[in-house]
Amino acid sequence: MSKVKIDEVASMTVDVWLYGSLARYGGRAAKRSFANVKMHLPDGSKMGDLLSLLGIHTGERGITFINGQLSAMPGLQPDLNHILQSGDRVGLFDLKSMWPFQYRHGALVTDEMRRALEAEKNSGLRHTYRKG
Amino acid sequence: MWILRLNMTDRTYRLEEIPAGYRNLGGRGMTSTIVSDEVPPLCHPLGPNNKLIFAPGIVTGTPAPTSARISVGAKSPLTGGIKESNAGSAWPQHLALMRIKALVVEGQPKEKGKYWMAHLTWDGKAGKPKVEFFGADQYKGQDLYEVFPKIFKRFGAGIAISGCGAAGEYGYANSGIVFNDLMKRPSRYSGRGGLGAVMASKGLKFIVTDPKGAPAVNIMDKALFEQGTKKMADALRSHDITKPKGALNTYGTAVLVNIMNEAGGYPTRNFSSGRFEGAAQTAGESIFEGNKKRLGKELYNHPCSPGCIIQCSNTWHKPDGTEHASCVEYESDWALGADCGIDSLDHIAEMVRQCNAYGLDTIETGTTLAVAMEAGVLPFGDGKKAIKLIHEMGKGTPIGRILGGGTALAGKAFGLARVPTVKGQSMPAYEPRAVKGIGITYATTTMGADHTAGYTIAPEILSVGGKADPLSPEGKAALSRAFQATTAFIDSTGHCLFIAFAILDIATGFEGMMEECNGVLGTSWKSEDAAKIGAEILRKERTFNEAAGFTKEHDRVPEFMRYEPLPPHNQVYDVPDSALDSVYGEL
Repeated sequence: MSKVKIDEVASMTVDVWLYGSLARYGGRAAKRSFANVKMHLPDGSKMGDLLSLLGIHTGERGITFINGQLSAMPGLQPDLNHILQSGDRVGLFDLKSMWPFQYRHGALVTDEMRRALEAEKNSGLRHTYRKG
Repeated sequence: MWILRLNMTDRTYRLEEIPAGYRNLGGRGMTSTIVSDEVPPLCHPLGPNNKLIFAPGIVTGTPAPTSARISVGAKSPLTGGIKESNAGSAWPQHLALMRIKALVVEGQPKEKGKYWMAHLTWDGKAGKPKVEFFGADQYKGQDLYEVFPKIFKRFGAGIAISGCGAAGEYGYANSGIVFNDLMKRPSRYSGRGGLGAVMASKGLKFIVTDPKGAPAVNIMDKALFEQGTKKMADALRSHDITKPKGALNTYGTAVLVNIMNEAGGYPTRNFSSGRFEGAAQTAGESIFEGNKKRLGKELYNHPCSPGCIIQCSNTWHKPDGTEHASCVEYESDWALGADCGIDSLDHIAEMVRQCNAYGLDTIETGTTLAVAMEAGVLPFGDGKKAIKLIHEMGKGTPIGRILGGGTALAGKAFGLARVPTVKGQSMPAYEPRAVKGIGITYATTTMGADHTAGYTIAPEILSVGGKADPLSPEGKAALSRAFQATTAFIDSTGHCLFIAFAILDIATGFEGMMEECNGVLGTSWKSEDAAKIGAEILRKERTFNEAAGFTKEHDRVPEFMRYEPLPPHNQVYDVPDSALDSVYGEL
């Protein structure tokens, strides 16, 4: 009975890429410098749920992509409530990664990230967002 | 302070007191001004009327951190327009210590196929630099990894070397100018634009510098300079990207491989996709972990030149722990990797090494091999055949000579429409269909497609850019214009462009840069002058290019990007021509 229930709920799979030091959260899929894991999640799961399931504290990850759209940067993480869909590709980077402004200006970002950048001073014209 | 002129027609030299109007110039500002003032825009780049100019930056040779940069300028054999190509080495510091603000190589020997080298030293008695010329035919066609130790042995450990390799001797539009790194390797390149061929066309193989006894850079206001230097050093040491064991020091510039790949903007197999399945195993993280496995310990990166805090240069090691190649930069890693469908770091490293050995630009080499793969000359992903073709380029075989002409030439030779070049120069590793802003810079910069033409250093640029929404095409164009101007300024200071990462986010770092320049020159430049001075450099470059035959219709991305959607986002390049035209139309 309970098995049926789990199957009904755990009905989506997300393609997760963990880079750099985050590779260690990839379990058996972990290579030295990255891990690619298929995560099974209940329908309606959010980015925050995925991080919990992986055991990654949100402050430990930096640049994040959902389907090739930038969803978070260190110090700017508007994606915790982003609802994931089955088949989504999620890329999570450690805090040593970088994506300078001029190399991402005009690249795709999630709606939440666009709003977060617009709310930043100077429309987010910075290389990093970590406070302090 | 002098302009040193080497006349290669008769192997004589002349020292000229720096003209008053050139006093505050340095780096790119200096090379582009001299090209603009002295080189006929319609001259043949390999003919006697082109000139090759080397200029250290304003603060190069001082204790200012991360400032050992050289600008090399000429009319480019690759683009047919003005060129400034930048590298880091002790070599420009030597020029600065000898108070040489610009070294101009001019003329052309009547003897074909003969080469010389210049030995530049400080004449303590006369209190000025002196030059001796020696024959250099014995180094013709040789592997630069074999030649450099011979030159160090001959002239002493305190020297630095600039020069050209076999690629320059063959007159390739793909040929760089090499400088030694701190380990005396021939690994630091002013790679882009075919300047190695310009040097070789003048019969000049090497310029060896030895600053022993030279005075030092004159600093007009030492207190101000030291204040600026401290602010700059503090910014570089504290920013996440530039600090010790930060992004660049740990993963190198190849830290961007996985990022660009996840963004769907990592050009793959001759710009036919924005995502490469072999990205993760060729990325900076993989270089770091691969070295750790092969060496049994963590290896952080090293400086390309003395006095650098960022230290982003890596070294890839063979399975037995011996050195294979330095440096596997992001652009080299990509051009010789993903763009060719090659996913082996060992193959990529071997190609980097061979490019360094022959004097080839790694970016242009990779993008040219990718075009050859597209044409069926060799299969995508075939690292061994790609290495063989680089040897053919270095040995000057018929196919090697076609490839040595660069990506645009190879595309014509092979009858392809998908040729990723602007103004004849191949695109680096950021796909314009996925990152629209960089496409504007690629299309409009005076240099041909160039990823280093549009850095930004201050958030105030947004107001320089006007009121347009920064994400609209017009807003992006305005920002690109401002980015290009501030980049021209940094390239004139002698600082590495990577200081921009820190000083955009840390305002005192930006102040520090201006104080360093004011301290050295005795000027009173304010923050807003950085963009103004940069814009003036751009105007000179643009005017030269117009006189060389370029119009705004040359400021375009290749047509295929307008009609071929790029996976995975399946976007085309949709920035309108009017926005591209506004970049220089409103300069």
